[in-house]
Amino acid sequence: MERIYLDHAAATPLRPEVVTVMDEACRRFPGNPSSLHRWGREARSALEDARAKTAAAIGVEAGTVHFVRGGTESINLAILGRVDRVRALGASTPVLVRSALEHPAVREAMEAAENTGCVVQELPVSPEGDVDFPRSLSTVSQLPALVSVQWVNQETGMVLAIARVAERCLELGVPLHVDAVQAAGRIDVRVDRVPVAFLSISGHKLGGPRSTGVLVASEDAQIDPRIFGGGQEGGLRPGTVDVAGAVGFARALEISVERLDEESARLSRLRSKLEAGLLGALPGLRVHASEARRAPHILSIGVDDLARDLLPAALDLAGIGVSAGSACRSGSLGVSPVMRALYGDIAGRIAPVRLSLGWSSTEKDVDEAIRRIPPVIESMRNAGPPSGSEPSR
Amino acid sequence: MSPAEHRKRILVAMSGGVDSSLAAALLVEGGHEVVGATMKTFCYKDAPGPTRTCCGLDGILDARRVADHLGIPHYVFDVEEEFSADVVDDFVSEYARGRTPNPCVQCNSNTKFRDLLHRGRVLGCEGIATGHYARIEIAPNGGLAILRGRDHDKDQSYFLWGLPSDLLPRLHFPLGGLQKRDVRQKARSLMLATADKPESQEICFVPLGDYRGFLETRLPQEHPALLPGDLVHSSGEVIGEHPGFAGFTVGQRKGLGGGFSEPLYVLEIRPESREVVVGPFDQLFSSHMLVEEPRWLTSVPPQPGDSVRVQIRHRSPDVPARVSRTAGGLELEFEEPQRAVTPGQSAAIYLGERLLGGGRIASARRAKVTAQ
Repeated sequence: MERIYLDHAAATPLRPEVVTVMDEACRRFPGNPSSLHRWGREARSALEDARAKTAAAIGVEAGTVHFVRGGTESINLAILGRVDRVRALGASTPVLVRSALEHPAVREAMEAAENTGCVVQELPVSPEGDVDFPRSLSTVSQLPALVSVQWVNQETGMVLAIARVAERCLELGVPLHVDAVQAAGRIDVRVDRVPVAFLSISGHKLGGPRSTGVLVASEDAQIDPRIFGGGQEGGLRPGTVDVAGAVGFARALEISVERLDEESARLSRLRSKLEAGLLGALPGLRVHASEARRAPHILSIGVDDLARDLLPAALDLAGIGVSAGSACRSGSLGVSPVMRALYGDIAGRIAPVRLSLGWSSTEKDVDEAIRRIPPVIESMRNAGPPSGSEPSR
Repeated sequence: MSPAEHRKRILVAMSGGVDSSLAAALLVEGGHEVVGATMKTFCYKDAPGPTRTCCGLDGILDARRVADHLGIPHYVFDVEEEFSADVVDDFVSEYARGRTPNPCVQCNSNTKFRDLLHRGRVLGCEGIATGHYARIEIAPNGGLAILRGRDHDKDQSYFLWGLPSDLLPRLHFPLGGLQKRDVRQKARSLMLATADKPESQEICFVPLGDYRGFLETRLPQEHPALLPGDLVHSSGEVIGEHPGFAGFTVGQRKGLGGGFSEPLYVLEIRPESREVVVGPFDQLFSSHMLVEEPRWLTSVPPQPGDSVRVQIRHRSPDVPARVSRTAGGLELEFEEPQRAVTPGQSAAIYLGERLLGGGRIASARRAKVTAQ
């Protein structure tokens, strides 16, 4: 059975061009980029070249780009590094603000901060993707240390109205962190157009290497490091930098941005086809974030009255790789805060599935998915409800 | 698998222990398409202390490790809600009634196997399997029967009397014919990560074995089962106070306090008066017991007058008994009086090696004490 990979929002295969430049970097730059000798210089030059390319791709100064180990680290650094700084500046109970839809990396980093005495405030998001910002913020007596809002929601593909959030933060003089992990390479995230203090991007969502990412921190953004030892990455992220990883990351981001228009049009078309195909075969299917602008790579659907934890398993057994919202460490599927926000009390009755496309997705993948998914759902429905409904004992 | 048997898609419940790990491995060896699943019965996040029991996070991760090693898919089924309603609530209410429940039986009877079968059906599986030490064979009358595992020390058929009988045609117990030591050895030779994992004895949702503490979190603070009551001697004399009957089990000797002229055992718990009745060892024996709501794995349940063998606790041998009545529950008369027949515990009824069915012990009639 041919396998169909529809989980590019989780990880995207490495682009061949990325493999090429990384392979070359591994062989050509054996030195430590912090060393003063020739080998160090060569590695450093490759690293700085990667930084410059990354900066150019998102419209920022090279000095603001810090290479880190992936999106989660980038997000944690922004949030917790910011908390450390405002504490050092004398704030006793820093206030952190986030949207209701944030990824666990944001949510849990803020929870960790909460455990040390910070106050966390959640902003609702409208079905259209507007963050209910001004009204909620007026209830906070003290200006937030940081506002963190994602650009694209990881479960539904909803594009949040970041420009408006950024504008509001600018007015208030509050630094904004944007989690652009699902957005970069899928929509335009050039921050010369949208002023943000911090931006997080992950490499493996772009066809880049795993465990790579950047934290963009604008020059006037005040933040402290979370780990210590060596002054690498402007002192913000000490530790020997993975040159090949940075080179691969930069190449992946560069390609994604270069091809953004055509690729986004191609994925939108594939997504529309997938959506129409599934809706045609499965009446009553719920399509998430349909009232909002959506990033082109995610189709998030909800199937009523089907066991939440069985649908991705059944699709896996049919050779189709998808995700069902966020899994916890055990792999068991709870009702995610995103689905809770979307459906409220009935969230538990709806099986969410996230189908996500990427650079390697083809028309054939989509056709095959349309052919295979509906029968899987049908046969699950035909299996009927659990037979254990007789009274216990 | 004999060549005549066809390749099946089989869902295996993998707890993360060595037994279910090997059960999965044997089915893979047999050429089946094996799907592994761990049932998450409670949230390890909320559990106090280590979560080293079968259903905790460690178990899930071990099961996944083994599944990855075997090259089979592994999924986690969240049965927390059903488990809490069917098993945990029952566990609490039984203790609150002064009985000693057997939650593993309750889980097997009403939750685990049914749920597994249903989920298996949804996932297109023809059969389900577990790592129980029990066998399924064709009975003399042509139907299917559950038999004791070949390893009598490990036999787990006692826990299976409440299984819905319609399940048997789809059920596999790959370890039924094996000895435990062979299971470990085979698991080692297959390099299963769980090969040397110690046995879990705890009840999965009471991780530290602290029943009393668990009940305190589940019952209202002022529940009679948690309030002090009289410790009454079988002679009628009040000889002390106990801190709440919820912690007591018939047959128990420890925890009664000392200073008595003879060793005393719990004979009976009277929830309505909150009394715990104690007495000497020779009063601990019962001649009869009443088994409530029996379930049968045979189409011809025993009738009054029939001789059967009955096992009244895990790891006890079965003993001969005679059916004295079947109306309003199953009443059995033991051939020899039995020690500590405990209300709430299971009575599993056998004919030779074959498990016929069973039920919960509702009450026991004390044997006349013969002269010492």
